[in-house]
Amino acid sequence: MGLPDAPGDLSSEVDVDAFRRLFPLRFYERHLTESIRPDGRPLGRARDTTIALGAVASAEGSALAKIGSTTMLAAIKMEVMTPSMDSPDEGCIAIDFHMPPICSPIVRPGRPAEIAPVVSKQLSDTISSSGMINLKELSLVSGKAAWMAYLDIYCLDADGALFDAALLSAVAAFSHLQIPAVSLNDDGKIVVVSEENGGKLEKDAVNKERMKLTLKSIPFSLTCVLHKNYILADPTAEEESIMETVVTVVLDSSSQLVSLYKPGGPVLAYTSAIQDCVALTRQRMKELQKILDEANSGMEVD
Amino acid sequence: MAGKPGTTPTTYSPSPTNQKIRRPIFNENEVDWVRPDGRGFHQCRPAFFRTGAVNAASGSAYAEFGNTKVIVSVFGPRESKKAMMYSDIGRLNCSVSYTTFATPARGQGSEHKDFSSMLHKSLEGAIILETFPKTTVDVFALVLESGGSDLPVVISCASLALADAGILMHDLVASVSLSCLGKNLVIDPILEEESYQDGGLLITCMPSRYEVTQLTVTGEWSTPKINEGMQLCLDACSKLAKIMRSCLKEATSTSQE
Amino acid sequence: MEIDRLDGRKANQLRPLACSRNILNRAHGSASWTQGDTKVLVAVYGPKAGTKKNENPEKACIEVIWKPKSGQIGKLEREYEMIVKRTLQSICILNINPNTTTSVIVQVINDDGALLPCAINAACAALVDAGIPLKHLAVAICCCLADSGYIILDPTKLEEQSMKAYAYLVFPNSILSVRPEGSLKVQGEPREHGVITSGTQGAMSVDDYLNCLERGRAATAKMSTVLRRNLQPQIASELSKAG
Repeated sequence: MGLPDAPGDLSSEVDVDAFRRLFPLRFYERHLTESIRPDGRPLGRARDTTIALGAVASAEGSALAKIGSTTMLAAIKMEVMTPSMDSPDEGCIAIDFHMPPICSPIVRPGRPAEIAPVVSKQLSDTISSSGMINLKELSLVSGKAAWMAYLDIYCLDADGALFDAALLSAVAAFSHLQIPAVSLNDDGKIVVVSEENGGKLEKDAVNKERMKLTLKSIPFSLTCVLHKNYILADPTAEEESIMETVVTVVLDSSSQLVSLYKPGGPVLAYTSAIQDCVALTRQRMKELQKILDEANSGMEVD
Repeated sequence: MAGKPGTTPTTYSPSPTNQKIRRPIFNENEVDWVRPDGRGFHQCRPAFFRTGAVNAASGSAYAEFGNTKVIVSVFGPRESKKAMMYSDIGRLNCSVSYTTFATPARGQGSEHKDFSSMLHKSLEGAIILETFPKTTVDVFALVLESGGSDLPVVISCASLALADAGILMHDLVASVSLSCLGKNLVIDPILEEESYQDGGLLITCMPSRYEVTQLTVTGEWSTPKINEGMQLCLDACSKLAKIMRSCLKEATSTSQE
Repeated sequence: MEIDRLDGRKANQLRPLACSRNILNRAHGSASWTQGDTKVLVAVYGPKAGTKKNENPEKACIEVIWKPKSGQIGKLEREYEMIVKRTLQSICILNINPNTTTSVIVQVINDDGALLPCAINAACAALVDAGIPLKHLAVAICCCLADSGYIILDPTKLEEQSMKAYAYLVFPNSILSVRPEGSLKVQGEPREHGVITSGTQGAMSVDDYLNCLERGRAATAKMSTVLRRNLQPQIASELSKAG
């Protein structure tokens, strides 16, 4: 940016793509003054979002969530564990977020993305803070056996707002989760009741029917980029890298603030900006709730 | 909630393990048993390909064969790692990994080194490495769900992703595997069939040139059986290549519209 | 409505603060920061030549390494590293030393609550000690929210665990300037009211969060005077030495 006047003079001659690469910040600021973004969105609008449930047949619950081109595949595998002494009638949830090398040019095998463990931690914090899942529902035999839900989320395509897409896929996978019917066998192990031997083991059945978890207060999130006085909802990877200040707001369906996350960044967030981000998240929450409900009702028809 | 620090309880899958005992899915002497998914012995699973699955990559492809679901991204040609020596020709770097939920029992989700090197060997003969000297092309595959014949699906999908990335190749690389179960040869085996197989055969070839880039034979085989199996696989490869080619044509025709 | 705190503090009362700088010989800058029983030691090395891969070579790069009191680093420590790194990046003037890396090593000596804010305060003092060019200082605070909606500041570990939610907040320090006061305001708010970093744990209402912001701002204003007083005499003595 050493040539303050040059970009202005060049803009008429240089091809748009070249200008975008050479002076990314100017390119964006020029759009922002017109209240529009390069992909045609107004500043406050999120990208198209879709959820597909049951994407992984080998898992008890799974979902594929897409926000723009950011794609997340979440799957839950249920295993049995002995609950800890402190909470004998509670199950456990283990959340892991993966960024395999396929998702982005900056991740290479053997050199995992720095952000992956951070998103992973944020996800477990958010899901536990929101109280969405009652861990007591994951109990099987008090003090003896409980469910361990392994939730693994894979980022298949990284194009900004990773946490939002990951949380959406996680929530959707839990809404799709079917806990298998199990019974206690003679060795004191929990086994799945299969169709053929279901009858004879019924006296020891722990979970008679396949069941779904009751999800209360589902958390939804929206990430915004702050730049000067502008607030851009649901940034792409390019927007995140050019304008570095991001704020992620997580609200749950009872309108509680589950998380307000702003890791540094050159722009300071004043009260008014925070309130604007919260308001945008409220709107977004309604959209996401609708998309999730539609995905779930689509499953029931099948 | 998610795992208090320091506590990693041991867990086990409640799915019945006693069924792992060899179940007679076929009879050694009979010839007219039915495959678990109702296919004929020489019938492949319906193949589905789509290019451009990952926007962040230079080229990518998604493949679905029954329950086997694979995604491959290609990056580059890009700068080689700093430690690498000068090279007149381009380098190819391959990596295959599985998701933790790909297999029936929860896995570790780590890189599959064997498959990575096999993928490398089957692709390097097809790529014209001279066209990108000093640089590296990275081919990364992720098996989303394993349903049997994972490696051949990865290889075919990878060659499609390379084509999508515009990397010059002599021909598309198609790959098909086959299991020998007693007296029978079953093509494109599923996970269950693979676990009971007496021998396995994998062919990777460039169908238009009628050249084989890799041939792997494992287990117990008689020479006539190998010949028969190879012919079956080569025929299947050329059919598969047609599907792959039409997928590429479709992608370019839709993008032109 | 008052809440009795185990250590007899009032809700707004912080634990005794202590900061000492230049305590390590080999590091370019170092500082320890104590809030009650929470103590963090930070060493700064750099600026060294070159940046890591995937970093912008036109700017100075900051690397943060978190060393826990015991054991290996896990996801929690990775998150702390990232938050401290991003926070320090926002207060440093990165254009002055392009293509350099400054390493910040955070060693936890004891954790009794408000660990991350304590580490950020320590890191900030250590950067000053190392002479890294800064735009302004950062002051961090932890606010804890009780079930009744009551807010206490600078919680101990026990308080952190028993309360419904907590937020850690980082603000810029208040600046002394000869310019008229109005010129320092941004959107009608003084600059030191802007949030550099925010993180929360546990669910709370939006109003409760805004209350936390208010309390945090008031407390950090006092802390920034402590910090300033602590940094000044040493600067004066260094100058006299140089002169």
